[in-house]
Amino acid sequence: MLKIRSTKKKKSQEETMDQHSRRRVYFSLLAALLLQLLPFSGLLLQIKPDFLLLALLFWLLRAPQVCNVGIAWTAGIMMDLVSGDLFGQNALAYALTAFLAVMYQRRLILFTVLQQSAYVFLLLLVNQAILLMLKSFSGAEYFGWVYFMPSFTGILLWYAVLHSRYSFNFMAHK
Amino acid sequence: MDQQQAPRFFIHGPSPFTRLIVFTTLSLALMASDSKFSYLHQVRQLLVTAIHPLQFVAFSPFKLTNDVQSYFVTQQSLKNEIEVLKKKNLYQGVQLQSLVMFKNENDNLRTLLETSKAGAQSSQLAEIMYTGRDPFTHKVIVNLGATNKILAGQAVVDSAGVIGQVTRVFTYTSEVTLLTDKDLSIPVQVERNTLRAIVFGNGRNNSVNLPYLPANVDIKKGDKLVTSGIDGIYPPGLAVAIVESVNTNVRSPFAQIVAIPAAGTQNHRQVLILTSDTNNLVAKDIEKVLGADAQNPLNKKEKVSRRNHGPT
Repeated sequence: MLKIRSTKKKKSQEETMDQHSRRRVYFSLLAALLLQLLPFSGLLLQIKPDFLLLALLFWLLRAPQVCNVGIAWTAGIMMDLVSGDLFGQNALAYALTAFLAVMYQRRLILFTVLQQSAYVFLLLLVNQAILLMLKSFSGAEYFGWVYFMPSFTGILLWYAVLHSRYSFNFMAHK
Repeated sequence: MDQQQAPRFFIHGPSPFTRLIVFTTLSLALMASDSKFSYLHQVRQLLVTAIHPLQFVAFSPFKLTNDVQSYFVTQQSLKNEIEVLKKKNLYQGVQLQSLVMFKNENDNLRTLLETSKAGAQSSQLAEIMYTGRDPFTHKVIVNLGATNKILAGQAVVDSAGVIGQVTRVFTYTSEVTLLTDKDLSIPVQVERNTLRAIVFGNGRNNSVNLPYLPANVDIKKGDKLVTSGIDGIYPPGLAVAIVESVNTNVRSPFAQIVAIPAAGTQNHRQVLILTSDTNNLVAKDIEKVLGADAQNPLNKKEKVSRRNHGPT
């Protein structure tokens, strides 16, 4: 009896934990969407990293029980809406990228920040390549390597954030 | 009692691969239905209205800085601007006087020709909220929407010329496709010799093309292209672009003509959305001609040739 109660308690605790992290994930994704919505123009627009995808990848690697392929797809639909693209373009690219992230998630969390960043960089490039392919089906043109600029800035941002976070944690432990 | 429970360590629910298959199929279906049929237009409109508060929040810091900047303008710059505007006003006033004369004359001639008179074009001032997020397309979002009675297909201009066309209308905003976009084409006329052509957006750099014109076409560098008005969307006579280069290639029977848009498609905040010209006179004239042709097909040639040279 006692055992059951304790497991129940544990379960409910876990559930609240789960809910807590769930809220955090959704909130950060919303914040990323807001960043994505900022009315940039010109050069800034060209080099603007894909904030939403970065946030998605972060949670896909850290909280795969909350953030899954479905969430990525929904975020992609939001991106389609705000960018006025064909419905499902960004969604498909995000879902495929999310799948690639989740596939190696167990291994990735054991990697160092640098190794992780390399993989995330690949994922960002894959996402853009998929988008490029989908868009060229509907008649868009390729502009040269400048198109992949957001992946480069994105990975710099990723590395900067994670690196500062780790060094911060390290300092706090000391 | 001892229920076997999978540890929380493992991911619950369907496997990522199943999810991937489901969502890939779903997005492919969505893409197909969105591009081939227009079922999803209502859904998109609804969802965009739902996201509007988010966009408003994202837009507000930029709006705030803009407002603050415009508040703190120096007296000197204001003075200079007034000076420039005064001069401009003087020049334009003189031009306007002759315009009134020409308009009266044109009206008289049109009455003689028994064609419909040009009505005054009404317009709405819109502000560009942000440029589209896709580097592939040349689109901007403006702050007027269905609540301001904007309709898809309306022409958008600035003081220098045509900027583009409203392509999608949401509740509070609408999407304007710039004339440099690959998907936009505008029927034009060369101002010098009233030669008609169609301008297509280049999509790559800030320029437009005139394809499908023969290599010996009478278009020179510096020619001004204006709207011909035969589409019934753009009122006739608006500046569209200025020819930048004309290249002929032995391999191609067509001339490669590149033109630069007259309007500043990149550097504007405010634009005018012209109210749909339902009684566009040129379109009406064409309709009239077609109607007349149906009645007596013998006079066809004569009438068409008259229309070609008539309204400019």
